[in-house]
Amino acid sequence: MSAPAPALAKPQRPAVVVRLADVSAVVASVSLIFGLLVVFFPVSFPRIIVASWQRGYLVLVMMVLALALDTFLYLRISYLRSSKPTVLVAACLGSLPIIIVGGLSFLLGSTVTQTLSLDLPNLQARVNEEILAHTYLGLVSAVFLPFLVIRLLQQFKPRS
Amino acid sequence: MSVKWLVWIGLYLVMGVLVPWATALSWAHQHGSELRPRVRQLFQRGELGLVGLVVVISVIWNLLQSQFMQQTIAVAAVLLALVGTMAGDVWIEDYCRQSTGAASSPERTWRDSRNLAFLVFSMAIVVEILLDRFAKVAAL
Repeated sequence: MSAPAPALAKPQRPAVVVRLADVSAVVASVSLIFGLLVVFFPVSFPRIIVASWQRGYLVLVMMVLALALDTFLYLRISYLRSSKPTVLVAACLGSLPIIIVGGLSFLLGSTVTQTLSLDLPNLQARVNEEILAHTYLGLVSAVFLPFLVIRLLQQFKPRS
Repeated sequence: MSVKWLVWIGLYLVMGVLVPWATALSWAHQHGSELRPRVRQLFQRGELGLVGLVVVISVIWNLLQSQFMQQTIAVAAVLLALVGTMAGDVWIEDYCRQSTGAASSPERTWRDSRNLAFLVFSMAIVVEILLDRFAKVAAL
């Protein structure tokens, strides 16, 4: 049997190679927006976050936001590099933000419990600040860390 | 709200970026050289990552001095350390590429280090804002 003619062979698109620089500009912008919201709305913005945490929406909103941002970033990188998205990376990006936000929400729960158990003045305000800090750290972690994991896993991929 | 964090980050930008650039210009002037380096040329091998590492160390130190709960300090410190290490890694990678003769692109190195340094500075600013707010709450 003869080999297929080169002109008829479908060109193989390479798998997406993630570079942290592509991700970090977007994460930095998200971080700056959060900072600006805290600076320009020092009372109302933290109040919204604390209220949504008390109602149980905060974790869900953070998961959706992180997943949407991760998907957007991954598709943007694959479009810019003209490369093929892989199932393994997509699965990693689909699960890691949920695991990170979920894990940090448990940590926030224990932080709040521990703060309330202490005999300190201005307890409610302290708890609110802890919630604000955890929300920021959770958001940045959930967007940045999955790409960091993928970037580190790429090191083990054999180079052609 | 106080602007202490703005002065703090401004100090790092001045000492970490502007002073080296001004020193290079001053050296060129002193030696009668035509050298007029731009900030991009001065940091084209990923040296911005080193400035980022210094910023990160300072923020982690401030976090350790704060009255945030241990869990919050741990999460913030680990995240900052990871971002700072990746920023510094750009400089290391470029050094290794140049030393071994592997393909190296100054444009890519500059873009990587600039974007990661942007992330470091952005996170440092927000963490300092949060520290400033917490210090006020704790002082009440």
